[in-house]
Amino acid sequence: MTAPDAVRNGFWDRLQRIDRRWIYLVIWLVVMIPLLLPFSIKPKAMPPVEKLFNYIDTMPEDKALVISVDYTPDTQAELHPMAIALLRHAFATHRRVGVLATAVYGLGLGEEALRQVAAEFNEKAVSHEDSVISGEDYVFWGWSTPFLTVMLGMGEKITNVFPVDYYGVATESLPITPRIKNYNDIGIVMSIAGSSTPLSWVTYAQTQFGVRIGCGTTAVSAADYYTYLNSGQFTGMLAGMRGAAEYEQLLEDKLTAAGSSLALRYKATEAMSSQTAAHIAIIVFIIFGNIGYFVTRRRKS
Amino acid sequence: MKRQLPLLIVLVVGIFGAAAFLIPHPMVRSVDEVFRNDVLRIIAAFSLVLGIGSILRHHFMKIKRKAEHWPFSYITVVALFVSAVIGLFGGIDPARPGILPTHIGGFSFHIQTLYTNIMIPLAATMFALLAFFMASAAYRAFRARNFEATLLLVAAFILMLGAVPLTRIIIPPLPDFAEWILAVPNTAAKRGISFGISLGMFATSLKILLGIERGWLGGGGS
Repeated sequence: MTAPDAVRNGFWDRLQRIDRRWIYLVIWLVVMIPLLLPFSIKPKAMPPVEKLFNYIDTMPEDKALVISVDYTPDTQAELHPMAIALLRHAFATHRRVGVLATAVYGLGLGEEALRQVAAEFNEKAVSHEDSVISGEDYVFWGWSTPFLTVMLGMGEKITNVFPVDYYGVATESLPITPRIKNYNDIGIVMSIAGSSTPLSWVTYAQTQFGVRIGCGTTAVSAADYYTYLNSGQFTGMLAGMRGAAEYEQLLEDKLTAAGSSLALRYKATEAMSSQTAAHIAIIVFIIFGNIGYFVTRRRKS
Repeated sequence: MKRQLPLLIVLVVGIFGAAAFLIPHPMVRSVDEVFRNDVLRIIAAFSLVLGIGSILRHHFMKIKRKAEHWPFSYITVVALFVSAVIGLFGGIDPARPGILPTHIGGFSFHIQTLYTNIMIPLAATMFALLAFFMASAAYRAFRARNFEATLLLVAAFILMLGAVPLTRIIIPPLPDFAEWILAVPNTAAKRGISFGISLGMFATSLKILLGIERGWLGGGGS
């Protein structure tokens, strides 16, 4: 073995045995730096996102959008921007909205999303029609258990499943209730989840009552749901941070075209630069790991 | 009788639950509604009592025996009681106060405040750690050792690159190709797996309903 070969082999050996904390440091840097110094990337919507956006945009005016907050704080970074974007879309197109949670940990996230988006619209509202009011334009039903009861019960009478809303107000007394009685008044149920809850919505709500189901899920779970997307059981799907960013982009294009004065922050789009850098870093890690593997294997053989 | 009664309840309720899905008769629907809206909820309430009792017993035993990490059990018990009391009596946020005063001056500790400032950061931090472990694992274990592993590696590369918007500028067809992998080969494989799982679930459910599989009764054995 020549001296340069020994140096080269030593380098790959060392790289193979690198302390994992260096890898952690690199990942931390490639996530943090683009968050602090973001570079603008305009995402182009893929068909599952585009189909969902177009359906919600053009669904009959008397149909409501229901968002089921089936996610918990651990997947908030990926899934919460979806809930925000959907609420903004619904309120911008004057749709009635119902929000519920099948996971008790999701309650606070649902409340936070509604509060944030309602405030964004109410700050710019110049008339009663522009404003977004709890009980009139949207209802937060809260949480009930078990989810089977909720999904099947909502097909018959929502007030039976949720006698009071999240704030303790009798749902029968809300002005929105006569307009969202059951699935007949709902255009689509968007189940946003890091678990398999969207499949339960298909099994119980869609099979029994024929309501449309849309799905928002983590990138890692998305592959499981393409079967349901291709069969038409899901009207559309938002997969991971990219799905949320694509929906945000479609919404921004629509609002800009409509001359909207809402100055909104699009968190998923902002995070795409960080995700891009992290993906590239992991690809580089895999390439280096494999080069090192082949170099050391050739030397051993 | 101790074994036969639960088996009989499972048989009757299980068959009725499945049949109610297929029989749109008003009487069947109304009984099914009672089962779902009342009976299931009462059972769920009992399971909550059981769950709280179980977690409390576990942690009190740990404290009593001074088992490993026993001081953390105090944190669990205190957090359980504090969040339950504030959640039940303290109101949701400053705009919706409860019967219990949950703010001292401008400092609020309503349930939504606790949730936003403790629950969300803790859970998000735990999940975020996955990115570090995944990167380290990818570097150490993701090797093209054989043909199958190479196929997996290539597919992972395409999907990872397809997931970043930058790729559409550098290699325009790649995101569409990544989408095709998910929509066609992935779906084909998943359908086969799903059919297998569904048939397995159906067979297992039937075995439980008919009392052939009795492991759920406890005591071991079928």
